Amino acid sequence: MLQAETIQILCLTATSGVPLFSRGSSKQLPFSVIGSLNGVHMFGAGQNTTLSSCETDRGGRVMWRVFQESLMLIAVSGNSATSELQLRRLLENTWNCMVLVLGLEELGNLRNVERLKRELRACFRLIDRLLGQDDHEGMMGELTQCADCLLTPQPTLLQEALDAFTQAASSEFGCLLVRGRVAAATEKWWRLAPQEVVLLSALVRSLSGMSSCDYPIYLPHGSPTVAHRLLRFQLLPGVDVCVLCGPSPSLHQVESELVGCFWSPLTETLRRCLEQGERCLPPTVNLHRSTLALLLINRETRRSVSVCAPPRASPSPPDTAVPLLSASKCWELLRLFYVFAVTRYFSMEESSSTPALVDPPLQEDFSQGFSHSPVHCYLVTDECKCYGLQTPQHQLYLLMDLTVPTFALRSIATQTLSTVTMAMGF
Amino acid sequence: MPSVVPGSVIVPNWHRCAESKEFFSKILHKRKRRKFGLLEAPVLPPHMNVDIVRYKIFISGKSGVGKTALAARLAGHDIPTMHYETTGIETTVVFWPVRLRESGRVLFFRFQLWDCGENALRRFDHMLPSCKEQVDAILFLFSFTDHASFEDLSNQMARITEPTDRIVKLVVGTKFDLFIHTDVTESEVNRFQEVWGVPVFCMGGDVAGGLGEVAPLLNSLAENLWHQDCTAAGSVPPPTQTEPGDATTEIMV
Repeated sequence: MLQAETIQILCLTATSGVPLFSRGSSKQLPFSVIGSLNGVHMFGAGQNTTLSSCETDRGGRVMWRVFQESLMLIAVSGNSATSELQLRRLLENTWNCMVLVLGLEELGNLRNVERLKRELRACFRLIDRLLGQDDHEGMMGELTQCADCLLTPQPTLLQEALDAFTQAASSEFGCLLVRGRVAAATEKWWRLAPQEVVLLSALVRSLSGMSSCDYPIYLPHGSPTVAHRLLRFQLLPGVDVCVLCGPSPSLHQVESELVGCFWSPLTETLRRCLEQGERCLPPTVNLHRSTLALLLINRETRRSVSVCAPPRASPSPPDTAVPLLSASKCWELLRLFYVFAVTRYFSMEESSSTPALVDPPLQEDFSQGFSHSPVHCYLVTDECKCYGLQTPQHQLYLLMDLTVPTFALRSIATQTLSTVTMAMGF
Repeated sequence: MPSVVPGSVIVPNWHRCAESKEFFSKILHKRKRRKFGLLEAPVLPPHMNVDIVRYKIFISGKSGVGKTALAARLAGHDIPTMHYETTGIETTVVFWPVRLRESGRVLFFRFQLWDCGENALRRFDHMLPSCKEQVDAILFLFSFTDHASFEDLSNQMARITEPTDRIVKLVVGTKFDLFIHTDVTESEVNRFQEVWGVPVFCMGGDVAGGLGEVAPLLNSLAENLWHQDCTAAGSVPPPTQTEPGDATTEIMV
């Protein structure tokens, strides 16, 4: 039905099943299949059951979700390695994208379906970004719903500049992104729903070539019916600052009067942030040398840092038994381990602010049979060793190479957690 | 304002001269165009005594005509392979060195191209005024594969500008490479140029042409903008004989 590896998203009107768009695969699903997918969901509804997902016998997976009782999104994956969690996140993010670009009112207006179809085209750039794999490299936020952050050596300097710049632009919402990761944000920005913070980062990443932008956006949770303006300025290639504004000031005004005067003095600091590269921790934080990758989530602030440090070709005689893992492979393994741990053992950070979006729990409910909740877990595979650790405030997911003895994982993980949290106050 | 005779104010095809190399090398990086953030500009040694002059250019045209692709093309960015609607205002900065014909002075033009999706313009009232705020030039776009977009040109020009505006106007026909599907004939284009007195440029095809492909349009923009400023500053007796001399620095925007 679908080539493996591809995920397709279909959007239909919930009541009448009129197809509105389909994204993801170059080969669109035949109309009859789309009709059946809609039909089987409708049949369920007729029996007072909600069909949420299913697996096909050829290793595919399908997930349905109705939003606002008006639109249905269906995600179809040709690959069983795509977890339910990933599909669920994809559907939520897609819906949020649609609200972000068009607003809730426009999406609820089903009287003129042809018009809605036309309007929905405006969301394709972002939705295709969500579906695209290359852009995801190193970005965990779309999966974890926690903002991908970059911890810099001089956070206060950047924070002060950002606060002042944001205020000068008559806004309270400001954010500085380095390579798509949040390096600093104003207090109000952090009060946006985590999904919004993640989505805005994705939006800014998708605009990477531009010098500046003025985008009307609706906040899916905070302001789904009233548009705000997202002003974004590319200070250096890879460094963006954005603010959320009302009708004024104009893009031209902020750019010509404020950008240079607030940020020019920090050009060198910003360049140093860029040099940190994929490593989201300052060079002063030392990780265990066998670390392949890590993801650290702050559960209270809903922020995360992720590091990928695949081994470089070492001077020691090459060990042919263990092939070196590429960075993209490490990211993939980290993502898989996160899904593994969070669906089986740890609790997931679902925001309680949106009761409409609370889902039935995912199928694996390991913890239900136990009176305690796990705080550590580990997994040894052919490619790496993984260790997960949960405290009331943090979750750490650590990937180590195979040379590390399994009994040492726990102490390395504990050590890593305290190193990063102590050094950075994260 | 009538447009300037090409090559009367600046040295035409300067990018092909050997002496321009050290200037053009500032906007290149590994044989591709260098990307500049807003805090950056081409780094020039002080002894070269080169000024940077800034202009705001608005790209106008029907939806799908290729506004975003034109901006990417002029900036030397990768041209998007897929058409996506632009749902807001996007700006792109292009640096372009130019040698003035009379004085032999070299100037770096910093064009900021403003691109806004047609649907966004329609849905949000603040967009058009924002694009027009302090604008110096407008590029009106039509697509060679869409005759309606060509017919719409005169409407657009009338709608967006007023006769009294001091704005440089140029017309760009996009998708010129898709000549098999061309919908607009050469004679139509020629007639338009005569009636409106606005030069028409043709764009399309691979970027393999490098600087040569974008040079005619960028040079013409530079020439017309510079001429407009010189006229405004009163340093130039009309129409095309230029005498920028010392008056050049005060009129920068």
